[in-house]
Amino acid sequence: MGGHAYLHGVGAAAPGWRVPAADIGAAWGRTGGRGTVAVCTPDEDPLTLAAAAAIDALDAAGLEAGDVDGLWWGCTRPPFAEGPSHAVLAAALSLSPRAAGALTSGSAHAGMEALLGAADAVVAGSVRTALVVVSDGLRPGLGTPLEARTGAGAAALVLSAETGPAALTVRVTRSRPQLDRYRGDGEVDTRDLYDARLFREEMFLPSVLEVAEHLAALDPRAWSLPDPDGRLGKTVARQVGAEVLPSADVYTALGDTAAAAPLLGAVGALDAAGIVAVVGTGGGRTTGVVLAVDAPVPGATIAAHRLADEGRPASYAELLRARGQLTPSGETIPMGVPPESALFARGAEEMVQLLGGRCADCGTINTPPSIHPTCIACGGSKLEPVHVARHGVVHTFVVNQTMPAPFVAPLPIAVVDLDDGARVMLQVVGDGTGLEIGAEVDLVLRRYAHERGVPVYGYKSKLRAVTPAGGDA
Amino acid sequence: MAWNKVAVVGAGLIKMGELFDQSYEDMAAGAFNAAVASVDKGFDPKGVEAAFVATQRGTLWGQEGIGGNTVPTAIGLAGIPCTRIENACPSGSDAFRVGAMAVASGVHDLVLVIGVEKMRDKSTEEGLLSRAAAGHPIYTRGETAPVLFAPFATRHMHEFGTTREMLASVAVKNHHNGALDPYAHFQEEITIEQALAAPAVCSPLHLFDCCPQTDGAAAVLLAPAERAHEFTDRPVFVAGFGVATDHPYLHEKTSFVGLQATVDASQRAYAMAGVGPADIDMAEVHDCFTITEILDIEDLGFVEKGKGGVASLDGETALTGRIPVNTSGGLLAKGHPIGATGIAQITECWWQLREDAGERQVALRNGFALQHNVGGRGSGVSVVNILTRNA
Repeated sequence: MGGHAYLHGVGAAAPGWRVPAADIGAAWGRTGGRGTVAVCTPDEDPLTLAAAAAIDALDAAGLEAGDVDGLWWGCTRPPFAEGPSHAVLAAALSLSPRAAGALTSGSAHAGMEALLGAADAVVAGSVRTALVVVSDGLRPGLGTPLEARTGAGAAALVLSAETGPAALTVRVTRSRPQLDRYRGDGEVDTRDLYDARLFREEMFLPSVLEVAEHLAALDPRAWSLPDPDGRLGKTVARQVGAEVLPSADVYTALGDTAAAAPLLGAVGALDAAGIVAVVGTGGGRTTGVVLAVDAPVPGATIAAHRLADEGRPASYAELLRARGQLTPSGETIPMGVPPESALFARGAEEMVQLLGGRCADCGTINTPPSIHPTCIACGGSKLEPVHVARHGVVHTFVVNQTMPAPFVAPLPIAVVDLDDGARVMLQVVGDGTGLEIGAEVDLVLRRYAHERGVPVYGYKSKLRAVTPAGGDA
Repeated sequence: MAWNKVAVVGAGLIKMGELFDQSYEDMAAGAFNAAVASVDKGFDPKGVEAAFVATQRGTLWGQEGIGGNTVPTAIGLAGIPCTRIENACPSGSDAFRVGAMAVASGVHDLVLVIGVEKMRDKSTEEGLLSRAAAGHPIYTRGETAPVLFAPFATRHMHEFGTTREMLASVAVKNHHNGALDPYAHFQEEITIEQALAAPAVCSPLHLFDCCPQTDGAAAVLLAPAERAHEFTDRPVFVAGFGVATDHPYLHEKTSFVGLQATVDASQRAYAMAGVGPADIDMAEVHDCFTITEILDIEDLGFVEKGKGGVASLDGETALTGRIPVNTSGGLLAKGHPIGATGIAQITECWWQLREDAGERQVALRNGFALQHNVGGRGSGVSVVNILTRNA
């Protein structure tokens, strides 16, 4: 035994919309509220955020999907309540179907459980390279104090037992059989169960302080601390003498990202040497870990840039519509191909893995494979599955302004020539602003529909923007 | 030499529009009766030996699973052979071709080809969604009808400098023609300013760049050429036809400034008829959107590739222009009841070739008219029929 789990790369993702916390409170007649909350656009959810953060982390670590043999995903409320959440994320990342790992969920502690599970597996040697992804985007009850705090985001880490720029060196967990933030079976919205003072004095502070004080003995350079109400984070920081608190900025910009919050709050501190203390709490459990940083962790700078992106300002009404809390009256019109159909079953992998069939004779890539037994260019019948390129250039496009629900107008759609020569026609993220012939786009995983209770995932084009760090956003 | 084995001896249609008060069967009977009444020397309806019915959206529009077999009962001919042809937007023109082949084969002499389409029995939103959600769950998601043609407008503008004003000029012309057509859905002129100021539907296409959703029906009666004079002294002959398919999904296209199916179908039709684009006196072409007509007149060879917009703005396709196009008002003004559209276009060609088109009548020089449809998910099929008054 012995040895640590080392960090080799890190990534982060924030959704596209920001709503001022004050606007949410104002809708219920309350004043005040600091900062903004990050909100998933109608085509984003914790799974698409997880995929975006994971791809960044793999890129930062210089790894291919095939190098990863375990995926641990922590998410309070994964998109399929019962269903293939882990398998869909693994497929979207093109991981091996043999990849190990687990989905942890059910509370905001899920992110820490994913991290510890992955660390145990790499230290034990059962997994060589683990991907840890934490993401959330909860649906809070309308008018609850929680509502104006609830944000969305994702972080990802690549872990292995091979020495890396940072190590997970200390871990402390404490459990208390008590309720906190809560959603019962059959409930659709998360709510606060207790009076705020009761929660603070009897639930939150006793557990979090016990764990944080344990870590404070190591004199961390920076902290990521939970902050469910906008004050408790600073209270804990004062008590343990935490001066550098990057998590406070993340809470101000994104809101409470639940299971993603502990690691998201630490991302900004991974670009410099020193001890970083991370505390996460939820579901009656609190865990603290120490990340001992020797050298900047690859990806930390780009991750901080992702979190600093201000997104697009959105209204409270847009937020409610995107979360499914504001719906048009009357029955929605059923769509043509239901997700339970055989067509979806046949297309499941090619859609989330973005597969094409490359012609052995002429090299043309035919997309998608399920409808192309024969090459469109030469008629060849030997087609091998390939992952198509995820970057290309717009050949032509439209912006559709007349889309009935469940679609959201304006809906841009573009024909894109990918770097490997494949041509695809896919929806474009956003409202079409800046879309033009010749524009560079990346293909990103998005939730195309949430139909008859089933989330449907596929790729969309996203206009490429250049980051200050020189990377591509 | 033109093929000319089959003659059109009667043709008719009902007034197109939102026919909320008429059933599918009402419309079929109306079109059939109009075709029968149009036969110069009279036609006994009981003489119809077989029918080919074009209905494109039957599975979605209340005609689920019944093929073409409501039509014989509706027109009082229960018992005759009747077959439904579904081939996307060219369903009507393809049914016409199949009907002509049935006559030419000698199996049947007197054949009815009828197109009937109920577009308005379901809501506008359901119509849009049926399209936006059909096909591959991701690769076609959100593809309402304008999405299938607007990318061509974007690219045509980019490559050839085609402008929104050029697109609008197509709508202005077709609404002008529609105002002269008592069967048209819309019978009012529009101005280019109105068209330019209309709201965007699917950029770069705006409201007047798009055809409406229309209920309608049209019918033609076919006979062997050698029997045509039993019914009329002014028969119109089927000079030739062509059908072509293309890759069905837009991302499989290599060009976004033309429709290969139209090029291939027209070349086959021209070869069969022994004519070229310069021999055509007028054409009814598929203008589901203004850009489609611009692509059509290029792909059919009436104007050089890239010059369709300029030619439209310059009036080359007007009633008095070099090659009058969509004299009936086209899909834009007359309407696009899908299965009926091709038959209605053929009816207009029949009137023009017989010089019965009234205020819309064009000058005939060579005696040939061309009818064209293109459609399917990504313009994956096109049909061209060429008619002539020359025996």
